[in-house]
Amino acid sequence: MIDFLNAFVLFSNFVLVPGIAYGAQLALGALGITLLYSILRFANFAHGDLMAFGTMAVILFTWLFQSWGISFGPLPTALLALPFGIAITAILVLLTDRFVYRHYREIKAVPIRMVMASVGVMFLMNGLVRFIIGPNDQNFMDGERFIIKARAFKNATGLNEGLALKSSQALTIIVAIILVSALFWFLNRTRTGKSMRAFSDNEDLALLSGISPQKVVTVTWIIAAALATVAGVLYGLDKSFKPFTYFQLLLPMFAAAIVGGVGHPVGAILGGFVVAFSEVTVTYAYKKLFTYLLPADYAPEGLLQLLSTDYKFAVSFIILVVVLLVRPTGLLKGKVI
Amino acid sequence: MSNALRAMTGFGIIGILLIGVGMFQSWNVALAIFNLCLISGVMALGVNIQWGYAGLFNVGIMGFAAVGGVAAMLTSQPIIYSAWQAGGTGILVSLVMVLILAAAMIFLSRKMRAGWAKNIVMVALAVGGYITIRNVFDPAVLAIESDNPAKSGYLGGLGLPILFSWLIGGVFAAGVAWIIGKIALGLRSDYLAIATLGISEILIAMMKNEDWLTRGVKNVTGLERPVPYELSLQESPRFISWVEWFNSSSLSGLSDDARAERLRQLVVEGSSIFVKLCYSGLFLSVLLIVLALCVLALASPWGRMVRAIRDNEISAAAMGKNVTRRHLQIFVLGSAVVGIAGAMLTTLDGQFTPSTYQPLRYTFLIWVMVIVGGSGNNLGSVLGAFIIWFVWIEAEPAGNWLMENGTAWLGDDSGLRAHLVDSAQHMRLMILGLVMLLVMRYSPGGILPERTRQN
Amino acid sequence: MKKLLLASTILAGLTGAAFADGHEVKMGVILGFTGPIESLTPDMAAAAELAMSETAGKVLDGKTIVPVRGDSTCTDAAAATAAAERLITAENVVGIMGADCSGVTTSIVNNVGVPNGVTMVSPSATSPALSTIEDKGFFFRTAPSDARQGQVLADILKDKGITKVAVTFTNNDYGKGLAESFAAAFQATGGSIAISAAHEDGKADYSAEVGALAAAGAEHLAVFGYVDQGGKGIIQTSLDTGAFDKFILADGMIGDSLIAAIGKDLEGTIGTLPGSESDGAAKFKEVATAGGLAKNDGPFMPESYDAAALMILAMQAAGSTDRAAIQGKMMDVANAPGEKILPGELVKALDILKSGGQVDYEGASNVTFTEVGEAAGSYKELVVKDGKFETVKVR
Repeated sequence: MIDFLNAFVLFSNFVLVPGIAYGAQLALGALGITLLYSILRFANFAHGDLMAFGTMAVILFTWLFQSWGISFGPLPTALLALPFGIAITAILVLLTDRFVYRHYREIKAVPIRMVMASVGVMFLMNGLVRFIIGPNDQNFMDGERFIIKARAFKNATGLNEGLALKSSQALTIIVAIILVSALFWFLNRTRTGKSMRAFSDNEDLALLSGISPQKVVTVTWIIAAALATVAGVLYGLDKSFKPFTYFQLLLPMFAAAIVGGVGHPVGAILGGFVVAFSEVTVTYAYKKLFTYLLPADYAPEGLLQLLSTDYKFAVSFIILVVVLLVRPTGLLKGKVI
Repeated sequence: MSNALRAMTGFGIIGILLIGVGMFQSWNVALAIFNLCLISGVMALGVNIQWGYAGLFNVGIMGFAAVGGVAAMLTSQPIIYSAWQAGGTGILVSLVMVLILAAAMIFLSRKMRAGWAKNIVMVALAVGGYITIRNVFDPAVLAIESDNPAKSGYLGGLGLPILFSWLIGGVFAAGVAWIIGKIALGLRSDYLAIATLGISEILIAMMKNEDWLTRGVKNVTGLERPVPYELSLQESPRFISWVEWFNSSSLSGLSDDARAERLRQLVVEGSSIFVKLCYSGLFLSVLLIVLALCVLALASPWGRMVRAIRDNEISAAAMGKNVTRRHLQIFVLGSAVVGIAGAMLTTLDGQFTPSTYQPLRYTFLIWVMVIVGGSGNNLGSVLGAFIIWFVWIEAEPAGNWLMENGTAWLGDDSGLRAHLVDSAQHMRLMILGLVMLLVMRYSPGGILPERTRQN
Repeated sequence: MKKLLLASTILAGLTGAAFADGHEVKMGVILGFTGPIESLTPDMAAAAELAMSETAGKVLDGKTIVPVRGDSTCTDAAAATAAAERLITAENVVGIMGADCSGVTTSIVNNVGVPNGVTMVSPSATSPALSTIEDKGFFFRTAPSDARQGQVLADILKDKGITKVAVTFTNNDYGKGLAESFAAAFQATGGSIAISAAHEDGKADYSAEVGALAAAGAEHLAVFGYVDQGGKGIIQTSLDTGAFDKFILADGMIGDSLIAAIGKDLEGTIGTLPGSESDGAAKFKEVATAGGLAKNDGPFMPESYDAAALMILAMQAAGSTDRAAIQGKMMDVANAPGEKILPGELVKALDILKSGGQVDYEGASNVTFTEVGEAAGSYKELVVKDGKFETVKVR
């Protein structure tokens, strides 16, 4: 029984808890991608760098608040800075839409042109972020770091294995739930949300029924900016902020959006968790876990690792390929891209 | 301006700029830039085949360039017999097993009816096969990698002259492209972009971590060269007499000591210029051959067909053209050209270092070259490659210089100035993005737009 | 014509600094000012430039050595060779202090340094592969090979009675090379490696890596990485998840920024760093403080000072700024016989050489070159105590 508890705690500590937090972060990013895809009809390559920009804005405000001596008690100051960061990011995306994407919408360019334009925007934002805050790690987590510490857990329970729960992990999950509920309420209950869904389903019909396309596009960009900023900040609080890593998040986020079914908000969330858990479970070494679970004589000798951690990011891609081969619409029947 | 005039002016300006670098910086620097211009030109042609001819948005250029690099390394390095003895059999056996497994899976997926039973069988086969193969493969890898790890620790190559590798690099890249194309080309264009971006990262990860094949991050250095070595030139009497003859005017009138001293300097400098010129000759011939082939292909009936497909897939399909097949063909051809360029690059570097492959430098920079030069226009892509490479290289000193002087009024102890000067290098990214967006919007055809001949 | 004029004005502007007067001799300083060790390199360059300013106006017939910096990026071989090419052919440097990371150093030696006959002294390229590089005698290093560091680490662990460790290394030639030499040495002393896994620098999340390392069932984790990069992330994650709390660090991980970032949980951590507690090392600290350097004991700072000092002395011994002549005298000034020279005594050494005497440069890091031109190398065994790296003894 103790062995079983130990195994469970071990698994929670290294797989469940980090997997859930990472999944929630990916899900928020994928939601933004999927929303942009269904309304603006292109895959936004600049999304990772949009996250980086939003996070940077929040970090700058956090520093400002810290220099004023404002803090948020046990919670990170970054949460206070969040609305300001979202506002700045929203202004930036609306500017890029005005000066880049609108032109291609007006001339009804093929989607691939939009994708290429988003690559150009990606560059620009990439450079902008590095220019302002530099390419280095920034740790902006303050407040209480842990809810449960591994060592304290061990001492309290007398188990061999510790369980750590970082406050950033708990925060990620709570904020993600609030944000996603708000988004669904908005899409399903408000007038603007409904017109967005109508626009996504059938653009011509929506135009006929008097929906203003510019308004829909604007609101979509603002929501995407908010989602990207929050996802970026949560990721940055949990791990750390580094522009290059945010660029690399692009692939798992795309994978999450496609796996769940592009254009399908629930799918994006599901996809986020599928990708996150696959990454963690496939690269986890199960040796210790089975040593607890199996009788001593059968204890494994090898590491029991399916795939070396070197290929962690390949996992999201492999899932992507498999889903596209087996079920191109994604798990929840989104659009085929 | 007509396209021909534009092309001449464009190449003329680049030529003058390079001569300027040669006169004011050094001829070695100018030739080094020129050589990379040539390689970039070949790479840009590869991208242009895919984008300009067929509208395929391949964001995995880096991966194909790296595959070419691996080919250069594997072709030229000597065979390491001890490593083959240690684990060669295991590697070969697992390779055969992979093929058998793949064949079995393809066979079953065609024969069995869709349903739960099929899914279960397929998954069981995949997992079971994977574990069995790992059991053969892992010990073999371990044996190879622990065979003299500090100096080799990999299987080595074929021991052929490195010039062959340019061809082999193309073939390798074509093979990889065929597999990727089979999976990804049937889907919509955005997906190809995502897929190629991911695949190129995975290819690099494999090169970094599969030490038994590529020596991984320990790098393979000192690749054999297709051109003479500087040091042997410096010792060759014939080369010294050439240099003496070439510089006879500047050498005359010096005292014997000063003359010998000056001559020695000239020989050292001349040797590395000579080596670079040899490379230039090789690269230029490849570039011209590929360019000629591209121009011919585009003007042929085949070229008309692929442009028709690009411009309107649906009507081309209605005319009975097999769009997916053509796309696959073009994807493979373009990737092969990129692979050739990748092999040339590794040959020039003289070493294979997987960690130098960065998407910014090997994928997006090439894309900017094609867009600026003129997508769909072969000569335009080459011109774009020359211009953008020159800007890329000279942007660093220019950016630093601008920042240093442009912010001088802020005063030396200004924090803002220090920050701006430190960040000058990141201007490259912003400039590149801005150039790409501006050209796409205001001059979608690039410097040399595609000519559409109406017959 | 207008364009030609414009182009040449621009180029003249770029290269305006290239024309120097006869009293200045240029020396290249190629280090990774951007990239994974960018936090170490400014101090290393400052230390090298300290040796140049110390001898200002005193070399040969009153010449001053001026540094010309180039960025090796630490990882991008093409950028590093381009920088070296510019320094050697356009700036006409007499020798190069650098490069820093092993991969780019190999590339510069092969492609630019040896072909142009330029002496290079690296303060920090520690890959064992560089011992056997075909350098025609032009490549030296004041840092010892990692083959030695692996041995020293294994000895320390043996003395402490640690018999099983998990190893994680940064996925490049430095990390991998060190992990392999350590594994060989440690297994020879009877120890066992539970797992040896790479980590990629520049990732935000290392929980999967730490999970795999922890599963192998060792109590100690050896981290062979960079202090500004993945290494720090691995340690942070290990502590957060309670996977490891005892660490063993190699030279790339030693830095005050690590303690500043992690805090008191690092207490008791063991580490190794090339260097010694000799008179030279103490003297270097004084010289560095007097010279107004921001730090006086940063990683690889003594080696950098020594690298530059050795080339200056060799230049004096050769009596000319000729590249080949400098190379010919490197061994003579670094090794016995001759009067021992410590940091801050460079002017004295120059005077001895001018009067035809011989010197044996000891420098800040006890330099003695082996036959292949690399430091035989002593290592400091460090331990974290009261929030600081303290030297336990020298091995």
